[in-house]
Amino acid sequence: MNKPPDQSAPGGIESAAGSPREASRASSSRFASREFRPSRGGSLFVGRLTEHGRANYQFRTDENASYFLKLLTSRGAKTLWGKDLERALHSGETRPKVGDLIGARRVGREAVTVTARRRVAGGRIVTEEAHHAHRTRWLVEKVQFFAERARLARRLRDEQADVRDTVRAHPELKSSFLSVRAAQEFAARRIADPKDRERFLSLMREAMAASIHRGEPLPAVRLRDPSRTEEVSTAEPRPPRREDPTR
Amino acid sequence: MNATSPLPNSHELLADPQASEWLKSALRSAAERDPIDALNDALVLAATLEERLRRELDLR
Repeated sequence: MNKPPDQSAPGGIESAAGSPREASRASSSRFASREFRPSRGGSLFVGRLTEHGRANYQFRTDENASYFLKLLTSRGAKTLWGKDLERALHSGETRPKVGDLIGARRVGREAVTVTARRRVAGGRIVTEEAHHAHRTRWLVEKVQFFAERARLARRLRDEQADVRDTVRAHPELKSSFLSVRAAQEFAARRIADPKDRERFLSLMREAMAASIHRGEPLPAVRLRDPSRTEEVSTAEPRPPRREDPTR
Repeated sequence: MNATSPLPNSHELLADPQASEWLKSALRSAAERDPIDALNDALVLAATLEERLRRELDLR
């Protein structure tokens, strides 16, 4: 079975209306970043980082500037392309270097506005047109990062685990457990049916665990009162009372 | 541009103190085999090892 090589669009840009190539050509003009939309996450590419750098897409002179990662995978050499790969590689938590076994994953798409300008000889702009496009956002880390995230996700999924012990061992999960606790309190107050309550909590816990597993940023602990430190409580939320509102 | 130096040949690997004994042993063993069969098996081995890595580290 022949499979086409995996090649992201030049600069990782995908046009909302036109082809990736068209969007890329327009990308020589100015981008205005509009919003970041996380996706459900693509598959994880695993391989040894053998080379990376700026280059024109597909190393073609008539293509736009992009960034590439060359990986030596178990199925041969693979080249990933995307403008965001440069940011992802250099701002990653584990700062992968050439020779490291890494993982790379598409984690979302950033909406950008591309302004395509047509100029006449002399540089005078004759037309200016805005297009909506998307730029792929990447996560690039050493493979150990993804293994650790999988471990953290398992901890969060484990309903039998002692929360205090888990947070002591993994303080980075504190905010996630606070969110679970807040959801439990919300469910106790607002969802009367125990089955619905369980289902809501289970879905919420699974969504958070999946996000951690994908490598998305862990939520930061936000304190309402800076003079007080919030503590994760292991106490069960109080049972709903008759006068409590229900859904 | 950031890149590794070209892949070392088997003689260089066997002399490299950083290379693992497991790799050196596999190279010595492969040198006695038909090169096509050896590479074919090595590709299967690499893919199998990646599957094991993904399974054991729960990488998805």
